[in-house]
Amino acid sequence: MKDIMRIKCLLSEDIEALLNQQIKKEAHSSAIYLAMASWCNRNGFDYSADYFFKQSEEERHHQLKLFKYVLDMGGNAITPDVTGIKQEYATFREVFEDALEQEVAITQSFKNIAANCMKEQDFVTFEFLNWFMKEQREEEYKARRALELFEVIGEEGTGRWEIDKHVNKIKYDSETGAE
Amino acid sequence: MTTVKVERAVNFQEVFATKAGAVYQCDREGCWYIDFADKLVKFDYRNLLKLKSSIYRVDIEMLLLDNSKSPEIEMVFICACNTCYILNLLQIISLKELLEGTFVMLELNKIIHDRLNRIVI
Repeated sequence: MKDIMRIKCLLSEDIEALLNQQIKKEAHSSAIYLAMASWCNRNGFDYSADYFFKQSEEERHHQLKLFKYVLDMGGNAITPDVTGIKQEYATFREVFEDALEQEVAITQSFKNIAANCMKEQDFVTFEFLNWFMKEQREEEYKARRALELFEVIGEEGTGRWEIDKHVNKIKYDSETGAE
Repeated sequence: MTTVKVERAVNFQEVFATKAGAVYQCDREGCWYIDFADKLVKFDYRNLLKLKSSIYRVDIEMLLLDNSKSPEIEMVFICACNTCYILNLLQIISLKELLEGTFVMLELNKIIHDRLNRIVI
């Protein structure tokens, strides 16, 4: 009897479901960053708004990368519903605290998928995930650094204006991130 | 329906069967035939997975505990598949059992292929 299941698709049902969950998380993340960009723009933090617009684009790119992988492997990529996006923030700092939380949650989620890939010996998907693991190093670094600016610059006086100006310049060029 | 079954029987391999029905695989067509509720229906890879998720999604416990007088009948309609099942609660349980067994056997078949035929020396 032919193994039609395997002939049609490389992914197991569990891994496919996890990847579809991740697609949803990335879409959610992209929408959250867009809401953050909107809040920053409305409150006069234009550089931070630009930073979050870029972050939103990146998350969308991650979503599509996962989406295409699922399809390429013969799976069913599901277009996610995105609802319940927080639109208002109490403070400028809260926006960055939420952004870091968001990245930590995404990293955790990728670790979970990778652990499942190892368990199932799906080394093909595991290798594919490596790109995202590396990306998360940068994402977490940037989010953590942005929050750090609140400590090193301080919010008093023109502090928030200074922070806003510096947020957009955050780069991850550590040698540990080099190709 | 019976004619279809006899004509194609040579190409069919039984995947799993219960008292309520059976699932056959046709290697030549790369699909499965489900003999259930007096129908023999062809399912390709995508539709079989859709059927599985539709049946697994049915909350059997909720239907059992439902005190309202609504009939315990579920319509299972698979998009892009020319058939639909109208099943009562017992049939849903039977179909679920049939599909669970089928997917265990398909997984077993995969393991056998991996261990016996896909060994790179």
